[in-house]
Amino acid sequence: MTDALDMAIDARGLSHRFGSSVLAVDDVSFQVSSGEIFGLVGPDGAGKSSLIRMLSTVLRPSEGDADIFGASVLHKPDAVKPRIGYMSQRFSLYPDLTVTENLSFFANLRGVPRREIRPRSARLLEFAGLTEFASRQAQFLSGGMKQKLALAVTLIHEPDLLFLDEPTTGVDPVSRREFWRIIAGLHRRGITVFVATPYMDEAERCTHVAFMDGGRILFRDTPAGLKSRVPGRLLEVCTKEQRTTRALLEPHPWALSVTVLGDVVRLIFTPDGPSELEIETLLSSAGVVTQCVRPVRVDMEATFAFLAEEARQNREVAS
Amino acid sequence: MREALRRIGAIASKEFIHIRRDPRIMIAVLVMPTIQLLLFAYAISFDVSDVPTILLDGDRTTASREYLAAYEQSDFFNVVGRVESQQAIDDAFDRSTARIAVMVRPGFGEALARGEKASVAVLVDGSEPNSAQLGQAYATALNQALGRELTFEYLERQAIDPTRAGGITPFIRTWYNPERRSADFLVPGLMVVVIMIVTVQQTAVTLVKEKEQGTFEQILVSPIRRGELMLGKVSPWVLLGVIDMLVVTLVAIFLFGVPLRGDVLTLGVATFLFVLCSLGIGLLVSARASSVEVANLVALLISFLPGFMLSGFAFPLHSIPRFLQVVSYAFPGRYMVTVTRTVFLKGGSFSILWPQIGALALYAVVSLTLASVLYSRRPD
Repeated sequence: MTDALDMAIDARGLSHRFGSSVLAVDDVSFQVSSGEIFGLVGPDGAGKSSLIRMLSTVLRPSEGDADIFGASVLHKPDAVKPRIGYMSQRFSLYPDLTVTENLSFFANLRGVPRREIRPRSARLLEFAGLTEFASRQAQFLSGGMKQKLALAVTLIHEPDLLFLDEPTTGVDPVSRREFWRIIAGLHRRGITVFVATPYMDEAERCTHVAFMDGGRILFRDTPAGLKSRVPGRLLEVCTKEQRTTRALLEPHPWALSVTVLGDVVRLIFTPDGPSELEIETLLSSAGVVTQCVRPVRVDMEATFAFLAEEARQNREVAS
Repeated sequence: MREALRRIGAIASKEFIHIRRDPRIMIAVLVMPTIQLLLFAYAISFDVSDVPTILLDGDRTTASREYLAAYEQSDFFNVVGRVESQQAIDDAFDRSTARIAVMVRPGFGEALARGEKASVAVLVDGSEPNSAQLGQAYATALNQALGRELTFEYLERQAIDPTRAGGITPFIRTWYNPERRSADFLVPGLMVVVIMIVTVQQTAVTLVKEKEQGTFEQILVSPIRRGELMLGKVSPWVLLGVIDMLVVTLVAIFLFGVPLRGDVLTLGVATFLFVLCSLGIGLLVSARASSVEVANLVALLISFLPGFMLSGFAFPLHSIPRFLQVVSYAFPGRYMVTVTRTVFLKGGSFSILWPQIGALALYAVVSLTLASVLYSRRPD
């Protein structure tokens, strides 16, 4: 039996229903151990937010239950709340309050000892690089600063488990990197992080990753474990004729998945398939002009593209 | 307990920051009520004066001339002319040059001299019911007063003791508002309506705004309880509502000259409870509204219409349909209007007003409790 104390999240058959029929989360069960950075990835509408909101006691599960450090979100939300921090998808602080006012408001609401509010706020602001903006109203912060303030606010009561719902959506790349540097710092201090993200490169930074689609968790593993599930090689084709390329490659039995990512077409193909040169020839003989055809290491982006496609086909077969 | 108070305090002081940083709220709270009071009070004055009046003297005796002269001296009637025929009266009414016509029939003087009842016809143009009704009342009062005087004079001339002369003449006196100034009647009621509109409106938005901002979810993951959230939200507005009432009261006293005859403490307590009721209504709206726009609209409808129609401030409650009378009990306005009128005009205090004040207290408790129950902790 796993130590109940080491278990941060234990979800059992969690479901959430919108109205009478739509299942946003469909019978989800999983466990997260203390100290993990658990990444929840999946497309928009997969049910990530609903799952996070149920786990953080904001949303009542329609069915099932989850224990957070052994306390049920359904029956003992008051025991769960002090131990968690929750950062929702949208910026959710008071725009007309200053950085400091936002921090001390939530500190008081969370019952942080009075004498600790000031030093803790100062530490968090330093940590988030917001010290010089302490007296600025939140509405006048940049997107990245807003997110860092929101993170600082969710940390004010020193939670053991952080729920972050797409914390870097709409944030510039530099701020994103910085945000993840902060999360890594928290992780080193032993805080468990549960983060939903649509970005695959962020999934790479997690210790464990679960892929969610259609309200279900389709698979979960370490990033390396997931990547090893891809049984082939990855090839990137740079071309302006992405659609033609895709149509040319898809019918072949050795093509496991073909996806378009920006101006690159990514092909995962079986190890016994053609060589890169043969594929290049195949395209040029069909009149497609390519700027590059290069093999790359299988990354999370490709992994998810592949696994999602596989899951979709399995579902089709099943039904 | 201490932690609970701290959380309530945190919400309350945050609300104060919102209020302080938003000049629109300050204007809405302190300037709007005064402006509304001024607008409404001048717009819906029921005072009637200078009603255009024409006179027809069919008797042409000293008595009839004296009688008609009384109309010329009254502020209420503005004698615009004298006519010679009934046809001329019809014309004047048709052209709206006159609203009241006073006709002294031939034989008026003789009848008085004989001690008989003299007859005078007062014709009133009913197309403007309010002035018509008042006009009639004034004319009747004038007639009675004059009639008595004329009779007395006659009796005295005959050296008969007037008290034994028999024949009772009704004596009309309006209490509490002897001049029948409509400001005295309207302003205390209007204060209530204005306070209600402002407070309901402001609180109706407060919870919905937290939902729209997403801050509500942050509050949800904190240990705060619903009741604490409600108390924290309400307390700054209680203060502002009472300040509002103070401002409006000063305007009523010094600008409209409404007398404050009763107990200020009673008025203060009732105001406090009434503001709580309005805030309860506002929070009820906010707990269920889907957006700030909806909240604003519903708040306006729910405070404005019942405030006007069902508080008894403009339309006497006993004269509205039975069904609406019952409905009116569901709005705190009717209790508070009774309180303000009684305190301002009749000098009433708690000993008379305890039923209304009790009703307000009960209403406040029920509405605030209901609001925090309806404001579901976990949204679906």
